[in-house]
Amino acid sequence: MTRGKVRARVPALPTTVVGSYPVPAWMERLKTDHSRGRMSYSQLQDVHDMAIKAALLDQDLAGIDIVSDGELRRDNDIDYTLARMPGIEIPEPVKDYYFDYHEARVAALPAVPAPPLGLAADYAFTSAQTSAPIKFSFTGPFSLSCRVRERGQVSRRDLVMAMAGVLNAEARALAELGAELLQIDEPFLAGHTDQTALAVDAINVVTAGVDVTWALHVCYGNRYARPSWEGHYDFLFPEVLRADLDQLVLEFARKGDDDLAIIEKFGWPGELGLGVVDVKSPDVESPELVATRIRRALRHLPADRLMINPDCGLRNLTGATARAKLAAMVRGTRIVRAELATPTETTQGATP
Amino acid sequence: MLIDFRPHARLRADQPVDLMASVAPVVAALADSAWDLSRVRVVCDWVQYRENFRDVVDARPIMSAPGCRPDLEVAVDVRRGGEAALGSLAAACLSGGSGRVYLEDWALGSAGCVWSFNALYWSALELWEKASGRGYEQALPGGESDGRNRDAARELIHELFEVWDSLARSAAIPAELVVVELGVGNGHQAKVFLDEFRRADQARGSDYYRRLHYLMCDYSQHVLDLAGETVAAHAGRVSSVTLDATRPLTSLAFLKHKVFLVYVSNMYDNLPTDEVAQLNGRTYAVETRAYLPSPAAAELADSISGTPGQLPGLVHKLLRLGPRLLTDAAPAHFPDVDSAVEFWRRAWSMLRLEERYVPLAGLDQYAVTAQCDGEALRPLLESGADVRMHVSNGAVASFADSLLLLHPYGRLICHDLFVTGVEGYRSQFRGPGKYDGSVVNWVNGPLIAHVGRRSGFDVHYEPFRHQSAGHIVTMTAQARD
Repeated sequence: MTRGKVRARVPALPTTVVGSYPVPAWMERLKTDHSRGRMSYSQLQDVHDMAIKAALLDQDLAGIDIVSDGELRRDNDIDYTLARMPGIEIPEPVKDYYFDYHEARVAALPAVPAPPLGLAADYAFTSAQTSAPIKFSFTGPFSLSCRVRERGQVSRRDLVMAMAGVLNAEARALAELGAELLQIDEPFLAGHTDQTALAVDAINVVTAGVDVTWALHVCYGNRYARPSWEGHYDFLFPEVLRADLDQLVLEFARKGDDDLAIIEKFGWPGELGLGVVDVKSPDVESPELVATRIRRALRHLPADRLMINPDCGLRNLTGATARAKLAAMVRGTRIVRAELATPTETTQGATP
Repeated sequence: MLIDFRPHARLRADQPVDLMASVAPVVAALADSAWDLSRVRVVCDWVQYRENFRDVVDARPIMSAPGCRPDLEVAVDVRRGGEAALGSLAAACLSGGSGRVYLEDWALGSAGCVWSFNALYWSALELWEKASGRGYEQALPGGESDGRNRDAARELIHELFEVWDSLARSAAIPAELVVVELGVGNGHQAKVFLDEFRRADQARGSDYYRRLHYLMCDYSQHVLDLAGETVAAHAGRVSSVTLDATRPLTSLAFLKHKVFLVYVSNMYDNLPTDEVAQLNGRTYAVETRAYLPSPAAAELADSISGTPGQLPGLVHKLLRLGPRLLTDAAPAHFPDVDSAVEFWRRAWSMLRLEERYVPLAGLDQYAVTAQCDGEALRPLLESGADVRMHVSNGAVASFADSLLLLHPYGRLICHDLFVTGVEGYRSQFRGPGKYDGSVVNWVNGPLIAHVGRRSGFDVHYEPFRHQSAGHIVTMTAQARD
């Protein structure tokens, strides 16, 4: 049984996003100006606030049931959190281009209590702008550790587990502010398939004692809209079965849905965030194609265990393309919802 | 008046350029003209290409708002200026010069007919080579394409083997190992690569040659056929694909993210390009129009029993049909293929480009490629300093498309003429020049690097290590992070 109250607030086959939203070229310029010291932090925060409001409005207009802040405050999937992590040093904080990764090193093992990472404050801003259910995502400790180049005497495991402890404190703060659906992103896990056990150990530290719906997103990379690795999700199993999670959020639109059988084969008991929109292609899927992808998934999982989302974050798409893809996703989902309401041959056998 | 003397290194050469002799006669001619000297710039280049599209002195209007008188740039080729009566040439140029037979209207450089000439050269290469008596590689400055260097090929192959060994250890090596070559020339560079690949594979006892799939890609089937003969010994490993080098993905979409090496040698410098300029804080596109100088045009027209007025039409027929069909389309002027080829070669030799600067309303109003607007130029122009540079539109399009072909562990390697820093445009002429029937422009390295970076690739330039002299640079693009 999925924890949290999100399910009760959304229709069947709820639509949501993975996290990031397109960063317009003008905002990229401003972010880069800030990282080069040519724009003040408070001005950039104003920009972020307005961009987040716009992203929320876009999602609302598209009909997305569970929205996100678009991760628009973050330079990329790593730096925002890693640079605030206690014990982590960024020797060269100035970047030529905002999207570049910082080089990071361990000065001391991250420990709690620690100053807040700021994620809870970000959530508070977002929740004040919308009455819709919110998915709030943050990068998991395993992937954060992958961008720490110098660990000194600290082992990878110790670093990952220590960062998990800090993230757990932040998650508790998020829950206290009313967060209902938290998603851990592990964008580097598919490139380190032999490290799933460590990643799961850390996930269980992050989620411990935080009574929300917990999701884990794993994809094959989306940096610069390119896959970083290729493979299949079987590397997650069986380790992920012992993770304290309610939902796996995986990509299927780009890769095809062969891996749906893996989910079924290993007996994943939780929900599945089904990627039905390819975020690496500017081609907008038709609602019919989205509906087809959902119907295929229904052969493996019942509707009450599916959420409908893009493969990954929308950051690398243009705003217009992202809006069109989200709208198509919502329309395609509605087609299947209607079929579920009046079962046909295509959906009849799959409903619970 | 602003005087921009770009080849300043030549002021300190063993035989230094005489600055006064290069500039003073032009300034004197300007002083005698009606031009407002406060709105004039004099730009001196050393045009190293014996065959090029410029006169010794050219006048280039710098346009502003409609109805306003343009500013003026006077361009001087210092190399030829020393041999010419510079003052009188400048005076003639400022007064409108001698007549010209224009072949086209003003347009961005990449849309000019010189690129149709360029395309014709490659599609009818055998006719040009027969008439000139030499192969295209002999027309290159080094006399040989850089891709034929065996040391470079061995190094590249060794690096590929290392990548595949690593992937094999993690059971992640695909069944087929794909290499793509864009622009194959006569196939000799493919042959060197394949010969060395097979030899190295046999020597180390691996099985990569059997799994290799080498795709030779060119827009000319004729060129591919000839190249195919050159690599006949590797027929089982080689396929040919006809494609537009500026849009490789259109033909190779099935290889998206699957190619371990995209290899390009001396092709980017031969693809269509515009030029942009930043002058006095404002950004301009350089527009061109091709012309034939009237006296030479009269001789050319006479040689084909025509008039100068008929030349533009005949040139465009030539470019559209090629010399073989031109004999059918205009038999009165071209009784046989040889006469059509001779017309082609002479027209090319005398072809010149008139230029003007047209303000850009905004960088986003200018398209570098269909997928990339002029904002990509901003990092190169944002200093505000005066500069004129090529946009290398064709090269950028080809490069950006090729990146999408690359496997996560793949790379693109290109040997070509690159300008590797914006400052490189301020001290040396970078084209266009003429190589026999084709065009050469140095490639805008900073722009390529920026486009690569925005696509997630590190782009690295270094001098071509296997050639002691020359300007060839090796560009490597590889996925970052």
